[in-house]
Amino acid sequence: METVLADRLQFAFTVMFHYLFPIGTIGLAPFVVAYTWKAAHGGDPEDAAAARFWTTIFAVNFAAGVVTGIPMEFQFGTNWAAFSRSSGSVVGQPLAMEGMFAFFLESIFLGALLYGRRGKPTRFMAWAAVMVCLGSWLSGYFIVVTDAWMQHPVGYVAGPNGTYQLTDIWAVVLSSWARWQFAHVFIGALLTGSLIVAGVGAYYLLAKRETALAKRFVRSGIIAAFVLSILAAFPTGDINADDVTKYQPVKLAAMEGLFQSTHGAPLAIIGMPDSKSRTLLDPVFVPGILSYLAYGNFGANVNGLEAYPREFWPPVELTYYAYHVMVGLGTIFGGITALAMLLLVMRRLYSTPLMLWVLMLLVPFPYIANEAGWVVSEVGRQPWIVYGLMRTAAGSSPTVSGGETLFTIIGFTGLYFLLGVLFLSLVLREIGLGPSHAPEVAV
Amino acid sequence: MPTVGYCVIALMLTAYVLSDGFDLGIATIAPFIARNDAERRIAMESIGPFWNGNEVCLIAAGAALFALFPTAYAASFSGFYLPFMVVLWLLMFRGISLELREHLSSELWHQFWDVAFWASSTLLVVLFGVALGNLIRGVPLDASGYFQGSFSFLLNPYAIAVALLAVCVLGFHGAAFARLRIDGPPAVRAASALTALWWCVAALYVIVSAATLYLRGFGGHWATYACGAIALAALIAMRLALGKSDVGAFAASSLFLIALMGAAAATMYPYILPGYPPGSGGLSIDAAAPSVAAMTTALTVTIGGGIAVVAYGSLVFRRMAGKLRVEDVVR
Repeated sequence: METVLADRLQFAFTVMFHYLFPIGTIGLAPFVVAYTWKAAHGGDPEDAAAARFWTTIFAVNFAAGVVTGIPMEFQFGTNWAAFSRSSGSVVGQPLAMEGMFAFFLESIFLGALLYGRRGKPTRFMAWAAVMVCLGSWLSGYFIVVTDAWMQHPVGYVAGPNGTYQLTDIWAVVLSSWARWQFAHVFIGALLTGSLIVAGVGAYYLLAKRETALAKRFVRSGIIAAFVLSILAAFPTGDINADDVTKYQPVKLAAMEGLFQSTHGAPLAIIGMPDSKSRTLLDPVFVPGILSYLAYGNFGANVNGLEAYPREFWPPVELTYYAYHVMVGLGTIFGGITALAMLLLVMRRLYSTPLMLWVLMLLVPFPYIANEAGWVVSEVGRQPWIVYGLMRTAAGSSPTVSGGETLFTIIGFTGLYFLLGVLFLSLVLREIGLGPSHAPEVAV
Repeated sequence: MPTVGYCVIALMLTAYVLSDGFDLGIATIAPFIARNDAERRIAMESIGPFWNGNEVCLIAAGAALFALFPTAYAASFSGFYLPFMVVLWLLMFRGISLELREHLSSELWHQFWDVAFWASSTLLVVLFGVALGNLIRGVPLDASGYFQGSFSFLLNPYAIAVALLAVCVLGFHGAAFARLRIDGPPAVRAASALTALWWCVAALYVIVSAATLYLRGFGGHWATYACGAIALAALIAMRLALGKSDVGAFAASSLFLIALMGAAAATMYPYILPGYPPGSGGLSIDAAAPSVAAMTTALTVTIGGGIAVVAYGSLVFRRMAGKLRVEDVVR
């Protein structure tokens, strides 16, 4: 196998698998904090049960996130040595910050939270939960900063031997791309967490178990998810799209399946792009909207893919479909949660089985939306490893062969399969036991 | 400034060896001090609140190396590709075994994860030892600083001796921690393990020191000899503390580890990736350093963050202190 392709496959596979778990930890952390805090300060036994339940699920997520995250950082050195050598002066910084400011916070306080829980949640544990939450959010921020620099490099100068040397760390850490990409990714993760909480509550209501807690899960999950699905589109998704328009117009064209430059470009709701014939097959258009979304003017010109050399096109089909899956699912989440909110206000939510079924079965879909968003962002960046500076093909390790990488892909596949089965069975088992199953918590 | 960066990396790796050292050590000696299911659970639970934080030292050290010396990071990680991947898998497997053992109460399930925990931890120590041995001995580098050599090159007698020393000294460190953290029969067995392990450590220390002098000659840095002497004193202190002071034994083995890491760092200086054969240069810290802004940022982050971590870490760990007994964990 070609080395760069093997390296890319390995990175994509390991990062997409890993990404499933931080989404869960970032999204569930506020619920863990809220229930632990209430249990520690109020003394309601139901809060204590909810705190224990969500802490356990959080912990399984966290453990899987840690073990799958370890390879990510080291792959920069093992598989992408040429990239690390040229850009390490910049991208090493947010990674070091993640290690020093986020990982220690998360893992030290999680140890306290998990092993300190023989007995009722205490104020110390409530603070530990806050620290774990803060750590998981910070960790996400620094990772997004790393990626944002690869999407939109700032704060560097070209150094000797093809290296890029850091000049301004604040420009890197606080770049507008990083802030808004984080806001969007973060809201995606929180939305996932809320839909998990609502979905688990819906399951208990349908199974006629844990009814009192289940209603609280559904209610808090739905309210949060409704607000978040709006925020995912406006302003965060919108501003992300503006940044793409401004700095990576060729990615925008691929996302929209726009081959020819068009004045008053329409928005394709559906359609199948074909990069060989350079057309969008069987499209359904809304006229003028793409121009408006991109430039705030229905008649504006939007550059199509053909305005750029073929070698600078990202994989068009993959980028297009991933983008449409993300946006489509986001719209669906907005619709479903709005309906659920309506039922909640009418006091009919808990007694509408159809809605509860929908909420329960919805749980995997925010994961799909998040992963699709990752594909849009990273596959759409190709053929650049650092946008406009360094081609992906130039970034892999000169001393590592395709065969070695293939061998390690097989190793990761085996380990991750084992891990995935274990993770799912543990979480499902925990959900099956339910929050009232709480031998450690004195209630 | 690169020298300060070099010291920071050495310090972080030393912190890793000291902290993850005791939990890896407990894993390697667990089959010898824990005889039944409850005792093996105690062995795991004694490090339960700590191991994850300890392992973060390694991840943070890796990240700091990336930020401070990107060239060395790229050259070493891609050069040692397969060994590094094996280390990653073992770290993952070990984490899984620690996290999953208690989720089911089946005896067979426990036995499987006990063996996985022991095997992955012990192999990790061996690999770390081999890596350190090769770093001190030097590795063949090409003109652009990438490692050129085979897997079999890495398995030389010197590296294997260092690996054996690592297994024994971390076993000692882990047994000393077990004396502090665990009550009952496993603690008694840990005491006898300490005596046996001390003899192994002493013998291997003499062998490795002699081999290092032979390899590098007497032209090394003065700090190498100073650290070697401190290690010798710590070795004697370890012996004196046996059976008298558990805290003393743990403190002495910590000092011994610090001295060994210091000696290794001083031997390699000013190279972060010494070449082979010894004395043929290598990748120096000046050649591997990034821009001044990057160096300043990374140093601020690692030193400032390190101080904060030590502060809140010691607060949290003090709350988790105390001895575990079999009655506490079996419900």
